[in-house]
Amino acid sequence: MTIDLNQVAFSYATTQGSGPLILENIDLTVPEGEFLILLGPSGCGKSTLLRLIAGFDSATRGRVTIDDKPIRGPGKDRGMVFQDLTSALYEWLTVRGNVEFGLRISGVKPEERRSRCDEALQMVNLLAHADKFPDALSGGMKQRVQIARMLAMRPSIMLMDEPFASLDAQTRQMLQNQMVSIWNDVGGTAIYVTHDIREALNLGQRIILMSAGPAAGIKHTYDVPMDYPRNQTDPVYIDLLERISLDIEEEVKKVWV
Amino acid sequence: MSGKTGSTWRGQLISPIAVIAGLLAWEISARLFIDPFFLPPVSVIFLGAVELYQKDLLFVHIGVSMARILTGWVLGSLIAIPIGLIVGSFLTAKRIVDPFIHFLRFIPAIALVTLFIVWFGVGELSKILLVMYATSFIVLINTATGVGTIHENKKLAAQTFGANAWDIFLLVTIPAAMPSIYVGMRLALASSFLVIVAVEMLAAESGLGYLIWTSKLYFKIDWMFVGIFLLGFLGLVSDYAWKMIGKHVLGRFVRESANY
Ligand SMILES: Nc1ncnc2c1ncn2[C@@H]1O[C@H](COP(=O)(O)OP(=O)(O)O)[C@@H](O)[C@H]1O
Ligand SMILES: [Mg+2]
Repeated sequence: MTIDLNQVAFSYATTQGSGPLILENIDLTVPEGEFLILLGPSGCGKSTLLRLIAGFDSATRGRVTIDDKPIRGPGKDRGMVFQDLTSALYEWLTVRGNVEFGLRISGVKPEERRSRCDEALQMVNLLAHADKFPDALSGGMKQRVQIARMLAMRPSIMLMDEPFASLDAQTRQMLQNQMVSIWNDVGGTAIYVTHDIREALNLGQRIILMSAGPAAGIKHTYDVPMDYPRNQTDPVYIDLLERISLDIEEEVKKVWV
Repeated sequence: MSGKTGSTWRGQLISPIAVIAGLLAWEISARLFIDPFFLPPVSVIFLGAVELYQKDLLFVHIGVSMARILTGWVLGSLIAIPIGLIVGSFLTAKRIVDPFIHFLRFIPAIALVTLFIVWFGVGELSKILLVMYATSFIVLINTATGVGTIHENKKLAAQTFGANAWDIFLLVTIPAAMPSIYVGMRLALASSFLVIVAVEMLAAESGLGYLIWTSKLYFKIDWMFVGIFLLGFLGLVSDYAWKMIGKHVLGRFVRESANY
């Protein structure tokens, strides 16, 4: 499934009509199977852009399509991992209950539900914690529940909004590696939002660097021609790290002065 | 959980010891320093309760008041919960109902006692309706607030799983609002006691409010204290029972709301 954004602009509706433009002139094509990174300074509109693709909001101008069909709201073809650790999980359900939630709604039979849930929990190493409730889990485990919950639905597009941003560095590194191998195993498109350049370089095949808002657009696009796992001492890695750092610094400065 | 003493058997003894010490202090000071007409000793109140029991009145008053309270509380909640869920979920419903709710909830049930008796007679109906009235606003507002504070992400996540509006209402809104409904019902239980005593003092031939009111007329101060004591005791027991239902039956749904 190919995602296409064509001259997309977006502003949040306010009580006095539409607010200032958050996004403007966004042209982007995401081919099937790509691991794409949306990178940019905080507040530039990365989450907003992801919400447009998820179908939570619709573009003020321009077209957002999947295989040439306009997006009309959320759908099972697109899974989402939210940045917030607690607010998206169902705290009255066990880990298993959370992972099976979508399968239940989709009317999947109990035996298949169980096996798909086990498979998803296996992929994120949570099978041993299947009967725990979310509030008994660490932050990293909660995000793995969100990932497993998405995987169980087998979406062709995985949307992730800074899923590991609030975790400690070790956990984050471990989960990044896990994410790459999951994406390798299940296939499908991944669109991953981050403000962390190294995270972008560890995960992405292509990095979209957004300009600072308001009316943010795509500043530059970087291809990452490296195998996984990424070697941080590779000259290609170091060169990209420097170029993107300078590029993003320019944007941050715009906001600060 | 608080410190270590909270969970040991020694810790468990602190409350009973405090109660016994309090009763002893009351007994002694009432005997030594206080005119028994103002505050009789505990033992005299206890004998008053025995006397009421022998006249077959004690459990009648208790039973009548508790039946009115529990019936009104349960029925009031059953009406308020669905309305609260709808008001919290749909802005149009909220806009229609809000002015009525916020007007009526400042009219205390006590102010309506006489009116309800004129409308619904002196029988049980008017009393139960008054408890329902007092209960329903508290439960409704708590329920609607609970629904209103459900995080958007829970619903968005459900949408990515293919949930429709009805799925979300049933599988996200209702379970997520449970703690607020539970707390609302607990608050409403306390206010039901308030209402029923007022009603029974003004217009009843039985119940604890009636007992307190008429004891004063016959100078049976000890009976009056029996009534007062029973209100506190029954309130404590009902509240504890609701708390245990929260902990052990609704457990996962109400979580820490049942902790205090
Ligand atoms: N619900 C909303 N209503 C109005 N403005 C919003 C809303 N959500 C985000 N914004 C604004 O949109 C801009 C982009 O936000 P966001 O997409 O969350 O940025 P990022 O994810 O890159 O940090 C910010 O200026 C933010 O204040
Ligand atoms: Mg964001």
